[in-house]
Amino acid sequence: MILEDFEYQSAESLSEAAALLARFGPGARIMGGGTDLLPNMRLEIVRPTTIIGLRSIGAEPPRVTPEGGLRIDALTTLATIAHSELILTKVPMLAESARVVGSNQVREMGTLAGNLCQDTRCLQLNQKHDYQFKAPCFKRGGECCYPFPNNRPGICWSVHMSDIAPALIALSAELVTVRAAGGRRLAVEELFSGDGMRPICLEPDEIIREVVTPPLPKNFGWGYHKSSRRGGFEYGMAVFAVALSLEASLRTCAEARIVIGAIRERPVRARAAERALIGQPIDDALIASTVASAIEEAKPLQHHGFTRSYLIDTIRVYLRRTLVRAVERGRELSSTT
Amino acid sequence: MTQTHIEPTVRSRIIELSVNGERHEIAVKPRNTLVEVLREKIGLTGTKEGCEQGACGVCTVLLDGRPVLSCLTLAIECDGRSVLTVEGLAHGDQLSPIQQAFLDQGAVQCGYCTAGMLMSATALLERNPKPSLPEIKKALEGNICRCTGYNAIVAAVQQASGQGVEPVMR
Repeated sequence: MILEDFEYQSAESLSEAAALLARFGPGARIMGGGTDLLPNMRLEIVRPTTIIGLRSIGAEPPRVTPEGGLRIDALTTLATIAHSELILTKVPMLAESARVVGSNQVREMGTLAGNLCQDTRCLQLNQKHDYQFKAPCFKRGGECCYPFPNNRPGICWSVHMSDIAPALIALSAELVTVRAAGGRRLAVEELFSGDGMRPICLEPDEIIREVVTPPLPKNFGWGYHKSSRRGGFEYGMAVFAVALSLEASLRTCAEARIVIGAIRERPVRARAAERALIGQPIDDALIASTVASAIEEAKPLQHHGFTRSYLIDTIRVYLRRTLVRAVERGRELSSTT
Repeated sequence: MTQTHIEPTVRSRIIELSVNGERHEIAVKPRNTLVEVLREKIGLTGTKEGCEQGACGVCTVLLDGRPVLSCLTLAIECDGRSVLTVEGLAHGDQLSPIQQAFLDQGAVQCGYCTAGMLMSATALLERNPKPSLPEIKKALEGNICRCTGYNAIVAAVQQASGQGVEPVMR
């Protein structure tokens, strides 16, 4: 049971929801599927006084933009994204990243924006053990950190576990927000602060309205892999999303985006690794040096029982495989067009 | 004589919910979840509470035909909607094919995951009458079982979908 009472308001539109957020102040939270908010309320990580329900607001189906990309409503359920013919055809990496989230039930309930805006997680944060109530950690408003006792006050290394964010960042996707004072358009990357205490960069009364992906570049190849212990119904150890555009020769890369999620407070773009890939003939040696560069940049945090060295080994193996798959796809897909 | 003061509390609202085809009008507070309402206010205790975090699936019900976690669903958001629970699968004494198959395959041990498994399996078979093995496993991904090791449960879905698996318990 949820122990504390709260008020509930149902919004009929996102602009109404944004107005309600402003009206009900800092204790108000919007709720899509509730799969992140409600468990965190039961753990008393967040204690809203008002919940603004968004489920009366229907999500428009995904559609092609005038530029040839895709527009996906923020309230689209993950199940819809995973099964959408349009998304599977035009941006399959997005469908794949939605397919691996949680479970069927979570995908039926959870929304695209909710997956991006989920709170960061840590083994010692997200449980009900009584030490969190007697001596809460920094993120719970207290004075210590359990997994990293030497951290200075306010430094929280909880990890952002979104499976979809790395894919959208690799795809150079953008978000459009709604706010009474005026919404904005920002790159998905800019949503994340990198600060475990306050991981999401939205104003208190700002709501994501839609996600827009650009048209895919020429000779586009993608790779996506979520590393996990048992292959289902769990958060990732590390999530890899690679998007490449090959040159006409198909032997070198014109552009590359390499994103690793679920290893730090925000998804990490391995920019030096991306630069290393460009312009050089793609062979095993180049892939290996790209991976080595990514590992240096990524600096994975130990999390959820995985040690740093295990995560580094995971990146070494699975980023390599993801890159190889992206190159293969770039070559396969361009040969069929 | 001292005055007693009643603290103002969050008001209950009346919602209308169809459960297994029956209409119910129930007073709920915003914090009441669907699983609490099903178990405590309507009295249908087939749906279980397990982790309260969305990590086990024992609370799975079909909400407007789709499998959801009733422990993470606020009852107040279910006004005007329809719920199917495990109690609604049988027709009188006649078990549904998936229920019968669970018995035939020995897919029930302690029974605690069973209601949730049946609801996820029912939702699968409604959309995909002949699911492949990977499709069955993906559909049951959100329901965990400590007892059976899952093989009998998967075999039950294969039996119920007429895919050549014979009963082993009779």
